[in-house]
Amino acid sequence: MKYSGRSIKRLYDDKFVTGRSSYVDDLQVSAMHAGFVRSPYAHAKIKSIDTSEALKSPGIVAVFTYKDFSPLLKRGIGIWETYEDPKQWKFVARKALADNKVRFVGEPVAIVIGSDKYSVRDAVDKVNVDYERLPSAVSMEDALKDKVIIHEELGTNVGFDSTFSGGDVEGSFKQADKIISVEITNNRLIPSPMEPRGIIASYESGTLNVWYSTQVPHAARSEFSKVLGIPSSKIRVIMPDVGGAFGSKVNIMPEDLSVVLSSIKLGRPVKWVATRSEEMLASEARHNTFKGEVAVKSDGTVLGIKGDLLVDLGSYLTYTAPLQPAIIPLMIPSAYRIRSASIRSRAIYTNTPPITMYRGASRPEATFIIERIMSTVADELKLDDVEVREKNLVKPDEVPYTNVFGLKYDSGDYISLLRSGVNKLGYYDMRKYAEEERKKGRKVGVGMAFYLEISGFGPWEYGEVRVDENGDVIVITGGTPHGQGTETAIAQLVSDALQVDISRIRIVWGDTEIVASSMGTYGSRTISAAGSAAQVAASQVLEKMKKVAARIMKVDVEEVEYREGEFINKKDERVKVSWDDVAKAGYTGTDPGIYAQVTLQGDVTFPYGVHVALVEVDDYGIVRVKEYKAYDDIGNVINPALAEGQIMGGTVQAVGQAIYEEAIINDDGGLAVTYADYFIPTPVEVPQITSFFAEKPHVSAYPVGSKGVGEAALIVGPAAIVRAIENAVNKPINKTPVRPEDLI
Amino acid sequence: MLVRPGEKVKVKVKVNGIWYEKEVEPRKLLVHFIREDIGLTGTKIGCDTSTCGACTIIMNGKSVKSCTLFAFQANGAEITTIEGIGDSKLHPIQEAFKDNFALQCGYCTPGMIMQTYFLLKTNPNPTEEEIKDGLHGNICRCTGYQNIIKAVKDAAGRMR
Ligand code: FES
Ligand code: FES
Repeated sequence: MKYSGRSIKRLYDDKFVTGRSSYVDDLQVSAMHAGFVRSPYAHAKIKSIDTSEALKSPGIVAVFTYKDFSPLLKRGIGIWETYEDPKQWKFVARKALADNKVRFVGEPVAIVIGSDKYSVRDAVDKVNVDYERLPSAVSMEDALKDKVIIHEELGTNVGFDSTFSGGDVEGSFKQADKIISVEITNNRLIPSPMEPRGIIASYESGTLNVWYSTQVPHAARSEFSKVLGIPSSKIRVIMPDVGGAFGSKVNIMPEDLSVVLSSIKLGRPVKWVATRSEEMLASEARHNTFKGEVAVKSDGTVLGIKGDLLVDLGSYLTYTAPLQPAIIPLMIPSAYRIRSASIRSRAIYTNTPPITMYRGASRPEATFIIERIMSTVADELKLDDVEVREKNLVKPDEVPYTNVFGLKYDSGDYISLLRSGVNKLGYYDMRKYAEEERKKGRKVGVGMAFYLEISGFGPWEYGEVRVDENGDVIVITGGTPHGQGTETAIAQLVSDALQVDISRIRIVWGDTEIVASSMGTYGSRTISAAGSAAQVAASQVLEKMKKVAARIMKVDVEEVEYREGEFINKKDERVKVSWDDVAKAGYTGTDPGIYAQVTLQGDVTFPYGVHVALVEVDDYGIVRVKEYKAYDDIGNVINPALAEGQIMGGTVQAVGQAIYEEAIINDDGGLAVTYADYFIPTPVEVPQITSFFAEKPHVSAYPVGSKGVGEAALIVGPAAIVRAIENAVNKPINKTPVRPEDLI
Repeated sequence: MLVRPGEKVKVKVKVNGIWYEKEVEPRKLLVHFIREDIGLTGTKIGCDTSTCGACTIIMNGKSVKSCTLFAFQANGAEITTIEGIGDSKLHPIQEAFKDNFALQCGYCTPGMIMQTYFLLKTNPNPTEEEIKDGLHGNICRCTGYQNIIKAVKDAAGRMR
């Protein structure tokens, strides 16, 4: 029985539904608790820190500040050099705690360690910090003036400034029938995984053990090693159950580093689990504005785009923030044949909490920009949304296609997908329905948007398959699933490759001492990259098993065929040996056990699709997204229910981004840090969601042929929903979230 | 009740059928008491403002967010947590969550299941709207809720 392609139930749900799951905060490690003294100001000099009162507080073991930690640091926290080029950046690697200055409201200034979290909280209030307030630059506009400099060493607040150009931009504007101006903004979001980040560090006799709510245990190990100067062989990072991440937990936070440093200084385990407000301060996302011009022919052909992209970084450059300003421009052309473009991308430091990344990171921004452009072109030229897109989409015979910035799209038939998508999703019927309803006075609207996503992200992933002496199978994967259920899909792939029952397989991940190497789960890459690595390792294991079987049967290995648990002599089918016997023989000492370790290289791949939303707006400007439909070509689908789960989860986050979620920062740089101010959709706000995958998918170059689905709905959803709102209220919109006050 | 600074109070509660008696600080939240003093970590914490529902338990027959109460307020109460439903085998709600792909990261799941447990006790045959309403104090960031709603319907069927 083949497992791939079927909605196999998730393998490890029991512990989650019975409350036996163990996230960092659930681990029974007897550790001291940490709490942070945080800056009340957006920008201020630290004149002095008085910890004496706090230290007198019952149960308090230590209070550390920048001065205590700096001798232990080789350097600050770097950036994700796998994907990001430090040479393109002006940045100061962030240290564990604020040095002589604080740069955002909430920045950690001191860490308090004590026996329980209540006493720690008391003591945090007793640390006395004397500040001298400085003028601050909270908005990008202010920061761009460089009157207030956030990092003096850099001499400017512009951390990145690069112009992405291709084709003859001036020429295309000369040929244009019309030039259309656009301004498009994605406001700041907060990823908000339901489990706030947390860490337990235990340093003893030169060895550091870290239990860490992370997506990237190996990257964390290597970063800790570089920052602390401890050989990575003496650092073990363990990823327990992780309660959601959405990209935000690729980041290594100063709080995390402070906990590790405290453990080193004290020689005992220290634990910190962020409160929700701390989680909201630690990790934010999006926040960018694109201003530009589009050169079009009157038939809707887009000849060229030029413009300025401003991306907020917050006050420090995080591990993942460099991705956005570098990838947004590259993806703005999307699946459209736009042969000339020039986009200046600048990333700006502001006195606000640092930007990390959030599901889609850069592709939602690029998609929102280009889809707003396409819709604006349709409106300006009085053309149909689908028609304008069809006119501009890259033709199937042009794929593989290299976009104007040199990015190579691997496979796809964008036009056919768009056509069959709008049919399958009933887009035109929905439009008609909305129009009828509007005639009756209701503000109902329908919108569509197309996307092309870059995912997979290479450069490699690790997979190991071990058949033990009983014939049971352990798969050690470099993927780091934390909710997606991809461990189940990997088991499906291995199970098929080895033709063994899935119940005999166990998937292991997320421990640097068990997994030889790993990139991790992010960028919709786990099935393509980690699934393929595991599948290849499984086929290598099977080859080894065949060799052992050949030895047992005393035939040449070429004569051995494997079929459902039996190794058969092709020449004489009566001669065979069972899977279990071969496994046992593999551990006699003659053979070195039966396992294979694979580091599989990979590249980027490009899923795409069309999504449609139906909304209704009431007289108070309150939007309800009522229906949401998706049609995606994500390559081969290994487990449809899991893939659909990604679309549904992403859709509701897209609803959030489109109409509810916005990190509110006041003029003094203070972030509203509760769910009363930051509104995450509840069951009441969700639309009816329908998801389809292309019947004839275009596969990636990864052996399993999938492309990825983790981010799709949040990449395209905001554009589709915003278009639906425009349709409902007949008013142009150029930002997310759309607020009731924008609509009345 | 008068408690002097630094003094502890005695709390006696029955959790999942077992009586516990502990001395705690009067300011200790019930959720911390359940997780740390009793050691049942199935009940989760997702926010500081009683918004997310990750900490939902059943107390004296009603669902409560255990982060909104002090431990001493539960004195004498009977509490059921996620560890206390279903005995040797899974409870039908737990089965339904599994079968309908109603969880991803699982962090909201204990709270969702306990709220569903309460909902189905009070309304064994809820409509879709009633389910959404009944769960609207529970946030899930992963699933998009659709499969959770399906699971609740499914569980209602299994329990009839
Ligand atoms: S932790 Fe109790 S409602 Fe969020
Ligand atoms: S499954 Fe992750 S929060 Fe609900």
